[in-house]
Amino acid sequence: MVEVKNLEGLEVERYTTKERIIHWWVGFSFLFLFLSGLGLFSPKFSWILTVLGGKEFVRWLHPIVGIFFMVGIVRMYLSWWRDFKLDSEDRVWLKNIKHYIRGEEEKLPPVGKYNAGQKLYGRVMIYGAVLFLISGIFMWYPLGFPKPIVRIAILVHEMVFIILGPAFIVHVYMSTLAMPGTLRAMITGKVSGLWVLSHHPKWFNEVFKK
Amino acid sequence: MSIVTSEGTVGIVLKNVSASPLPAGEIKKYDRLCILVDVSSCIGCRACEAACRQWHDLNPKVPDEKDPFTGYQTFSDLQANYFTLMKFNEVETEKGVEWFITKYQCMHCEDPGCLKACPYPGAIIQYGNGVVDFDHSKCTGCKYCVSGCPFNVPRYDERCKPWKCNFCLDRVLAGLEPACVKTCPTNALSFGTKEEMLRKAGKIVEELKKRGYKNPVIYDPKGVGGTGYIYVLPYGERIEDYGLPKDPSVSLAITLWKGPLKWIGSLALWGTVAGAILHYIVYGPKKMKKINKEEG
Repeated sequence: MVEVKNLEGLEVERYTTKERIIHWWVGFSFLFLFLSGLGLFSPKFSWILTVLGGKEFVRWLHPIVGIFFMVGIVRMYLSWWRDFKLDSEDRVWLKNIKHYIRGEEEKLPPVGKYNAGQKLYGRVMIYGAVLFLISGIFMWYPLGFPKPIVRIAILVHEMVFIILGPAFIVHVYMSTLAMPGTLRAMITGKVSGLWVLSHHPKWFNEVFKK
Repeated sequence: MSIVTSEGTVGIVLKNVSASPLPAGEIKKYDRLCILVDVSSCIGCRACEAACRQWHDLNPKVPDEKDPFTGYQTFSDLQANYFTLMKFNEVETEKGVEWFITKYQCMHCEDPGCLKACPYPGAIIQYGNGVVDFDHSKCTGCKYCVSGCPFNVPRYDERCKPWKCNFCLDRVLAGLEPACVKTCPTNALSFGTKEEMLRKAGKIVEELKKRGYKNPVIYDPKGVGGTGYIYVLPYGERIEDYGLPKDPSVSLAITLWKGPLKWIGSLALWGTVAGAILHYIVYGPKKMKKINKEEG
């Protein structure tokens, strides 16, 4: 155990440069897919297609960015899937998620590098992405497949959107407004020691045990 | 393609516009236009195809030996620049081998699957007279209309825009009959209001019964709310042999994704945004631990 005098000044590396590059690769491509998809999902947002460069162009680009996103998220999953495994403490954490929402983190089991919510988000994203890809291929070349399959594919694509869209909004909110000091983990790669101790105490012990 | 759009209407009302609220209700009643195809008096001359091609100035590529075998048909299937096609099907009946010749084109459904599936406001329009038309200036090229159509009609060109029969709307608005009807030499095609055409079809059915046909029927599928193209089929029990779907309807998947899913989706997305704002003002940002003592 280190002697801690000034936790706030202590820099802890949370994400390597490689991890950050992959995160923003996936993040920005998802943002584009989210916005352009929203424009096609809801006629009330069809103006987004104009803003992004015109409806024909966006419709053409959406599946291409989709492939780009897919490559990124698979690469991301390969480096993080071990971290996303849920254990029994995570289940306790999820059951008592109300304390987390209220900001009473001390009432929850100590969290490692990721809390159960983050793990769940990571898993939902990769499962959703796979469903997006499969259904998306049918929608990309609808003339090459039987119509009933294409219709089901569109249905699946929209259902996945309804799950991943809100999850994405929560992710953005949690990592910026809801938790000061978090965003810089994905920009500089570093967080303060105090941040680690407050939100990820078990990881704190792992980092400083050496 | 369309000569009138959802924005500029020239003396013609809108009944339904894709991905938009329903236009103003019909205070004035507009007759639904209809073309009746009397299969029993069609000789398969394909003059309707020629007239369609001429009026719309279509120039389809002449098939060569690499293309699929077409038999007596002009093409094996509809094309982006070929809006109506006579389908020749050889069928065995009690009279021996017969040709079932069916005119094949957009049916102008009362409840159009293409329009229902279309995600972009105004790209597909149904006019008060029942004609369904595409507005290419609003089309994204997503091909949802192809998936939505229960009759497999819209065809995409190489610039990713869909094409189909538009009921010769320009002719019709000028008081003329559609080109195919105008040219038909045996009066197998007739044009008028839906009511009139149904009456005429009924008479033809009676006529056919007198001639010994056991089960002649009028093809006006109810699953899509009836169609703007209706057929008299001499062999009513063999609808599919004519190349027509037996009981077409707009797929449940489309009804789901255009109905409840939109509601659930809006609720989920806006609910999440509202939830985040509420969380921020009720509980505020998460605080870090206050540490004054030494940790060990």
